[in-house]
Amino acid sequence: MDWNAILEFARGTFFQVALLVFVAGMVYRLARILLLGWKPNRVTAKGSRLGGVGMSFLKGAIIWPFIPWVKNTASRNPVIYIAGGIFHFGLFTVILLGTAHMLVWKSLLGFGWPTLPLPIVDWLSAIAIAAMIGLFINRLINPVLKLISGPAEWLNLLIVFLPMVTGYIMTHHLFFRYEVLFSLHMLAVDVLLIWIPLSRISHFMFYFFSKAIHGAEFGKRAVTP
Amino acid sequence: MKTQEAINTFVKETGGWVAAQLEACTRCGMCAEACHFYQATGNPEYAPVWKLELLRRAYEQRFTISGKARLALGIDKPITDADLTHWSTLLYEACTLCNKCSMVCPMGIDIGPLLHNVRSALSEAEVVPLELMAAVNKQVTEGSPLGVTDSVWDDRMEWVADEWEVELPIDVKGADMLVVFSSIEIMKFPENISAIAKILNKAGEKWTLSRQGREVVNFGFYEGSEKRTKLFMQRVFDAAKALGVKRVLVTECGHAYDALRWTAANIMDVPAGLEVIHIAGLIGDYVRSGRIKLKPGAYDNDGTITFHDACKIQRRGGHIKEPREVLNILAPHAFKEMTPNKEEAICCGGGGGVIAIKAADPQRYAVFQLKIDQMKKVGAKTVAMTCSNCRLQFTDSVKHFNVDVKIAGLSQMVADALED
Ligand code: HEM
Ligand code: SF4
Ligand code: SF4
Repeated sequence: MDWNAILEFARGTFFQVALLVFVAGMVYRLARILLLGWKPNRVTAKGSRLGGVGMSFLKGAIIWPFIPWVKNTASRNPVIYIAGGIFHFGLFTVILLGTAHMLVWKSLLGFGWPTLPLPIVDWLSAIAIAAMIGLFINRLINPVLKLISGPAEWLNLLIVFLPMVTGYIMTHHLFFRYEVLFSLHMLAVDVLLIWIPLSRISHFMFYFFSKAIHGAEFGKRAVTP
Repeated sequence: MKTQEAINTFVKETGGWVAAQLEACTRCGMCAEACHFYQATGNPEYAPVWKLELLRRAYEQRFTISGKARLALGIDKPITDADLTHWSTLLYEACTLCNKCSMVCPMGIDIGPLLHNVRSALSEAEVVPLELMAAVNKQVTEGSPLGVTDSVWDDRMEWVADEWEVELPIDVKGADMLVVFSSIEIMKFPENISAIAKILNKAGEKWTLSRQGREVVNFGFYEGSEKRTKLFMQRVFDAAKALGVKRVLVTECGHAYDALRWTAANIMDVPAGLEVIHIAGLIGDYVRSGRIKLKPGAYDNDGTITFHDACKIQRRGGHIKEPREVLNILAPHAFKEMTPNKEEAICCGGGGGVIAIKAADPQRYAVFQLKIDQMKKVGAKTVAMTCSNCRLQFTDSVKHFNVDVKIAGLSQMVADALED
């Protein structure tokens, strides 16, 4: 098989198509939400809606177990708090502060930024991968998660997992030739980009809506969100 | 059954804010651990996210491409009669709409109001549990879910005025404040009426009761029927208008406060300039401004006192500080907090109409054991609260489990400790 041609395709045409699908899909999802109509809230507030929103995001910045602000909840959901937190933290750091990824951003945006040394990025991705396996096992055994997980939930994990493992194996030059792994990594990324607007991975966009609504609702009532 | 009506209701209620929140859910399942019904029973179906399942399905199948595709491929199933009957048990018998789940959702989804939407659809489909529906119908026809008809109300008020020697102004035009009690107070905790009257009289409030607007409880709100929610609130607002009052005082009832204070303006016309307040907040205002004075330490010598936060008055009502300020005056040493408390408090388990449904008894009692544990941990001899629906659940469950704690309404405690 001509892996160079596949790599060319995965990095070139397919990547651009995937990117287009991603952007168009997310714009569509956003527009649909906005166009569904937003009734004005006519209730007189007791506290500050804006203050509530601020507080809600402040707390949300910590999807992380350092501040278990709801007593018993962090301790009752240790796997999701810790593994979920590590997974997202690793993911964001690697995507934004890994040198190779930054260069992709640079080619897309036209400017770059300083990155982290490879060993740190490497460790973070390893931990993030381990965390994802933890999340997967948790989803397999937790009775509530079993009940609420359909095919889409399993695919979410798989499709986010693939770019991460292929990327990791690639940087370590394990098992396969470099072009093969790079191609697989890029194909996985392309699939992920297309999958995001079709799935709940788009939660990163709606997060800003739900958190704001939550904060405004609690702020309105003068209760800490 | 009217499955289509339910689906239409879901669709009708799906504004952008509902959709945005449904889309945000990552199906992480964390909300389960926040729900006292799940905590107490371990039944995965009691997970808040699962209770929302019908709304999610209706939304996705109607509005989203992936939802339509999944429906076509048979991965997602359309909503059936059987689904509605099943979710009726989850929504009415294992959810108090306490909104604790929203406190822990990492995406910040305000789950409680969405659950209320599910109830609305179930009510359109007419799958509301019979006992709850009977109470709703009674409120439609007799003006009270507990059968407090006009004449019962008259008798009861006359008796309270006699028994506790307290003045109860009725239908006084030009008063500043309309005070509306709940049937639970009228029938089960009449001492609350005299207590609140004493406090208001002491503060020199120009207040009145109304024959027309004599029921603050809103069983239409429990049911989730917007039509009946409005009907019952209209009675109160009409009375307020007829008497020309500036403020409506909701007494010790949580759901009523949620409806009148936080919901009414969005679903109906509230008379211009009319303010809706709650007794828990009002007592706080009186104490802060010195309109009433309390005997410091009045309850310091009867063992530990703790405070139970009502979901609709504290977490969703915002009156978290006032009761604590009052208790810190009345029992500065004896007052101890349970954990978790305030906006994170565990619900009593009887709210949202649950206590009216016999089939819900097993989980209602199971949930109360969490409360018993909390009270035991602080060694409470007395537990104070500001909601008579909670109080009903406490009184009943404490008897059921034979626990030795005294249940007290905060207004009552305040009234008994007024400085002359
Ligand atoms: C603003 C950005 C984001 C926020 C606030 C956020 C938040 C969350 C939260 C709270 C959860 C559930 C709990 C957990 O497992 O940690 C979650 C799950 C998940 N997130 Fe994110 N996320 C964001 C961005 C992303 C991105 C960019 C991706 C991937 C491309 C992603 C992938 C996932 C996956 C795969 C899960 C599911 C884990 C499972 O099934 O257990 N997230 N996210
Ligand atoms: S509102 Fe309260 S009772 Fe209902 S699901 Fe949420 S936590 Fe449970
Ligand atoms: S906690 Fe929030 S995001 Fe997680 S399953 Fe429940 S509703 Fe969805």
